[in-house]
Order: sequence, then C-alpha cells, then structure tokens
Amino acid sequence: MWKYSKKLMDHFMNPRNSGQLLNPDCHSEVGSLQCGDAMTLDIQVDDEDRIGEIRFMTFGCAAAIASASALTEIAKGKTLEEALAISNDQIVEFLGGMPEEKYHCSVMGHEALSLAVEDFRHRRDSTAEYLEDILREKPDELTAAVGDGSISIEHIHPSRVGVRLSGVDESLVISILEKELQQRTGKTVKVRVTR
Amino acid sequence: MKVYLDNNATTRIAQEVLDAMLPYLTERFGNPSSFHSFGSDLMEDIEAAREKVAVLLGAHAEEIVFTSGGTESDNMALISATAINPLKPGLVASTVEHPAVLETAEYIKSKGYPVGLSEVNGDGTLNMNSLERLISEQTGLVSIMMANNETGVIMPVEKVARIAHEAGALFHTDAVQAASKIPVDVRSSGIDLLSISAHKFHGPKGVGALFIRKGIDIPPFMLGGYQENGMRAGTYNTAGIVGLGVAAELATAHLSEENCGTELLLEKLENGILEKCPGAFIVGADVERLPNTATVLFRGVESEAVMTLLDLEGICVSSGSACSTVEESSSYVLAAMGIDPVDANTALRFSLSRYTTGREIDYVLEVLPPIVEKLRDISPYANR
Repeated sequence: MWKYSKKLMDHFMNPRNSGQLLNPDCHSEVGSLQCGDAMTLDIQVDDEDRIGEIRFMTFGCAAAIASASALTEIAKGKTLEEALAISNDQIVEFLGGMPEEKYHCSVMGHEALSLAVEDFRHRRDSTAEYLEDILREKPDELTAAVGDGSISIEHIHPSRVGVRLSGVDESLVISILEKELQQRTGKTVKVRVTR
Repeated sequence: MKVYLDNNATTRIAQEVLDAMLPYLTERFGNPSSFHSFGSDLMEDIEAAREKVAVLLGAHAEEIVFTSGGTESDNMALISATAINPLKPGLVASTVEHPAVLETAEYIKSKGYPVGLSEVNGDGTLNMNSLERLISEQTGLVSIMMANNETGVIMPVEKVARIAHEAGALFHTDAVQAASKIPVDVRSSGIDLLSISAHKFHGPKGVGALFIRKGIDIPPFMLGGYQENGMRAGTYNTAGIVGLGVAAELATAHLSEENCGTELLLEKLENGILEKCPGAFIVGADVERLPNTATVLFRGVESEAVMTLLDLEGICVSSGSACSTVEESSSYVLAAMGIDPVDANTALRFSLSRYTTGREIDYVLEVLPPIVEKLRDISPYANR
C-alpha cells in the first residue's frame, strides 16, 4: 500500500464534485498513456468567466481520483484564466503531499482543465460566429422585425448571448434570434437584452 | 476481519511446519556437512525431507536438489540444461512464464543462443502451433509452466513434454504455483526438470527444490561446495529444508482428500462476483484452472483503487498492474492474451488457500460489490 495522507484518502473516499453536468458550458476528456488513467470534466461558467459548477469522472487509482477531486475544489470560483494557472504542485500540496511515483496522477487534471477551457473558447467563438452570420444575413423575418431599429452584440457565452436593441419589438426579435441560433448550433442559446 | 486472498504471492506457514522447524533454529543448529555427529546427524533429517518432497512429485528422493526457492530452481534449470549440449543451446518457453524464467531466457539470448517464446491464446492456454513452430534442432530445452500465476490457467505439460522429447530436447516446468494445488506426477508426465518453492504451499520462504530426472547430467549452477552431490553448493538451510519437507507432506495428504475445499469456495466467490458486480469478467473462465485462482476484470474501475478500498476493509488481493512511474504499468500476462490495456488495468487476482473459509468469502462478497459500484459511479469507462 502507498503511504497516502489523511486528506488524500478523504478526497479518494469522498470525492468532491464527482459526476457529470446535464448541460455543461464546456467538457473535456483526457487519458494518460503512461498508466491508462482517464478523466472527464464538465464545467459551467458564469458571465464573468468564473467557474460555477464543475464535475469530474475518473478512471484511476486513489491518487488520481483524489487529484481530480482536489482540482475541482481549487478551481471552483476561479476565472478560467486563473484556473489555467493551477499547477500539479498546488494539487499535491492541497492534498498534503503524495508519493513521488504518483505525481504523474496530478498532471492529468491540469490537462483536462486546459482542454475544457479550450472547448469553452471554441464554443464561445462558434456561437459568436453564428450570431454574426445571422445579423449579416438578415433573414426576411428579422429584417421585417427590426425595421428602422438596430441590433448590436454585447456579450457572448456558449449558451447565452447579450444584445443591445433599440427601436424594435424586443420579444419578437429575441424569439427570432433564439430560433435561428437553435437551428444553426443545434443547441439552446438564450438571448438576453442588455441596456 | 482480515481476509488474506493473495496466496499465489505467498502463504501462511502451517503450524506443523513451524513446529518442525524450530528445533533447527535453536538447539539443532549444527552443520549437516560436519564430521561430528552434532552436525552430521542432521543429514538424516535432510534426507527425510527429500523423501517427502519426492512423494509429492512422484519422484525418487535422489532426483530432488534443494535450492533457495523457485527463482533459483528456474535459473538453474534453464542455464544448466541449455549448457549440456553445445549443439542444442536453444530454449523455447512462453510469453506468460514467470520473470524468473523470462529474464533467464533473456540472459541466455544475450549470450547469442536461440530463444523463442511461444504465444498463448485469448483464454490463456498455450498456443500449440506457435510452440511447435519455435522448436528446432537447436532446441535443447523447452520450459513451460504447469499453471500460470496470474490466471491459474493450467498448461498441457504432458503434451509439451512429448513434443520436446520428439525434438530431442529436455522439458522443464515451473510448477511453483501448481505443486500442492493439483496432483503432480513427474513420471507419467514425462517431466525432466521441475521447480517448486516451499512458501507457496505453507512452507517457509527461502527454500525450494529442483527435480532433475535420473540420468540427466546437468552441470551445477551454484559453485563452492560438495553439498547435494556437488549439484548445489552452499551450507544446508536445515530448518528451511525440514520445513519444506513437512509442507510437502501436508500438501500430499491434502491432495488425497476427496474434497479439497478451495474449489467450492472459488466457485462461490466467482459466482457471487458475477452476480453482484456489473462489468465483472472471469479471465480463463472456460478453461482448466488451478482450484484456488481467479483473475477478474472489473471493467470500468481501476484495480489499484479497488485494492486500496479492499485493504481498508482488511481484504488482501493483488493485481497484475501497478499505477506507478517506477513499474511496468500493466500485466504482461493479460497483454499476451490480447486483453485490452484499459480492461487489463481493472484486473484483480483472488488466490485462496486451504485455510480460506466460507465466512471469509461471504465477507468479500459483502464488501466488494459496493466498492466496485462506488468507483463505477465516478468512472468515465463504466459503460465503455
């Protein structure tokens, strides 16, 4: 048996934030070739880019499971940028140390987080592109609804966007935009009006 | 409750064995090779032990050479037997042999001699076509284990012995796991050399034996003394040899009992696991295995995590894999069988002994399923 700290054993036996999210804003899957471990991350991100809900699944040893649990605890509430700076030393320290042979288990979390952030940015960029396309292409329905008014993009998030509207029927424009986004992204994207 | 189910790693010493050994660690400390009777009288006890080992294997006493254990016996058999005839320096073994054989084979190969490793089938049995293809005129020794330590799968030694003899080669078998668990008869099986180790059947650690069939003249392996007719130099490990003798005697008696017990307990364990643990798969389920060994894939959950939680509940099992940067990460035996690497990392080995009880198996079947379920709940591979 490996010599594990009390805290590591606690995170192994009672993992925090384990499981999956129904509609995550981003998701990642990583596997370690070295020891065959694997991990997934589901994250929900708020409008300030802060990590809200975060869930992990791990196939691996006690140190791998505890490292994933620790990572989610450290990452919660941090902005994505801040979370990317979490090092595996920080995870090891958080868990009260671990045998040197097990350090590689803590590396997987960082990799999963980087990929999840990459996924978030990718999803956000594609949502932005779709919205820009819609505004540029101006489907007949939208042209009619906007009339002499105007629409501009204020905020983009993979699952919700903020737009500034003036001189238009807000609820009509919102429903048109939501329908178009649904068609193009295949997912539900909420449209909100910022003032 | 402490439940020890890692008997293929080592076993508890039998009380009868310990009682028999103790005098040789205290007042009977003489050197059996001495001239004076204080030492030389002990030779009788060595010979009595030799007779008991011979009975367990169906051999003659003079065919038994005492060694320091299975590893030395395997080393000696391979290195000495391939050195008999310079025209036949080749060795054929299998990919699932114990490292004591595999690494010695690697050493023989490094000396420039032909070495071939036969493949195994998906169920862990020996691939006879592969074996026969590897045997050539240059093959001086074929070495195939009697049963595999990880899977418990029993190999067809009689058949292999015949094939080896037809090619003019000798046949060695590593019976470290098989001896005491299934009947062994070197005569009817055509075995020329056979390795055993005492601590695998309730004897002490650090002592074993090599059976060398009468008429086979192999060079000695350990040099520096005339013990064992010059076949194995080194002061007699009197207490160990006496212990091995008693352990062999107990094993012989146990094998002749009608119901060995471990077979029924193993069946109960396997059935219970299959019933209560989703994703469980018994390796080599449909082929002949040792009555004490089961390797189970708990697909979806990593074996070390399960072992860690079982250990906290007092249950000792083992896995062929290790999640570590210093060790080979997964079992070469399961890999040789073509088992997917991710599944191989879920393998746990349960190995029983004649001291294992039904209550212990009940306890394992109570503790294990919730552990597997808990880990499956957080595993991305649970429904792979």
